[in-house]
Amino acid sequence: MTPTYSTHLSEEAFDDVLIGLGSPESEAHLAACRDCRLRVNAFHADVALFNSASMAWTENQPVLLRPTARKTFHRTRLAFVSWAATAAALVGMAVVVWHHDGPVTPSRATPNVSQPADTEAQIAQDNQLLQAVNAAISPNDESPVDEYKLFQKRHSHLKTHHK
Amino acid sequence: MGNLRQALFLGHGMATATLGNLRIASKRHPRIESAMAERAGVISELDDINELVRLHQARIRRFVFCSTGDPDLADTITQDTLLRAFRGRESFRGDCSLSTWLTGIAINVTRDHLRSGRFKFWKQLKATAIDVHEMASFLPSEGISAERRVLAKERVKELYAVLETLSYNQRTIFLMKFSEEMSVEEISEMLGMGVNTVRTHLHRALKAVRSKLGATL
Repeated sequence: MTPTYSTHLSEEAFDDVLIGLGSPESEAHLAACRDCRLRVNAFHADVALFNSASMAWTENQPVLLRPTARKTFHRTRLAFVSWAATAAALVGMAVVVWHHDGPVTPSRATPNVSQPADTEAQIAQDNQLLQAVNAAISPNDESPVDEYKLFQKRHSHLKTHHK
Repeated sequence: MGNLRQALFLGHGMATATLGNLRIASKRHPRIESAMAERAGVISELDDINELVRLHQARIRRFVFCSTGDPDLADTITQDTLLRAFRGRESFRGDCSLSTWLTGIAINVTRDHLRSGRFKFWKQLKATAIDVHEMASFLPSEGISAERRVLAKERVKELYAVLETLSYNQRTIFLMKFSEEMSVEEISEMLGMGVNTVRTHLHRALKAVRSKLGATL
């Protein structure tokens, strides 16, 4: 006949027993008290049910194979390289646009673009065209001002000054 | 997978060498011989990735799933854990059981995931509720009446629901103690916590379990 106790294990002592850190007094009480022993057994039975169900459930779940860390690393590295290439391309484009819209520099003012060399025939043709243009725009009629010979004086003055 | 095959090939050679050493040591004291045989068995187990997966995958997966509450993440972490164990099998010194060593790796891998913030622990109850019902239905049915089976399913669901409410540390330590059957000292060493801290976490977890599962506890 197992004796019944009016006082049972305290909650803390009971938990220590479950954890495996029960004091000798607690163990002695447990050996003698049927109620406390039933409580301990009930807890272990619940945990055993949970472990059994969760293990059986896990074993029946299909395993999803995922890329390993190394593959993930390669993927990350590939993504980094592609992002770096994109960024470099964008920076390159930005530099080109900046140079295009930026301040006029000497090199911009006199672009170093190689032109095809003009042939003598083209030069002669251009000279003829320029002469024709000059003839067209030069005044044939004498200006009333010409009689004062202002331009001649000015040109002679400039010549003497230069001398 | 080429590296893995190469590792498997090298691992096979190492197991043979270990067994060779065991033959040389056969004249030693029976206890030493037994310990060496056990260690040789573990090393042999570690050398075969298929055997490692077959024997430990479900247990690690169960632990990580119950710890994180995310079945997809549990798959990833389990795979990483087994791969790390296989690659780092040289570092297994035999101070603890292979199961404990693997659980330690799983905890570290889970911590890495936690730090990187790649997932959120414990999704909402609605998201995992289906899993709980499904899990509870996997109870063994041999020798159990239908009525007891229904009651058992309810208990499993209730315990799982309590675990959901615990903090990550409390839940993990609870599982290490009562599912992985590790001692408080082993948990303390593995997590780098004091024995009293582990004890406090367990007390809080048990208090929550007791309040949920009723007067029987």
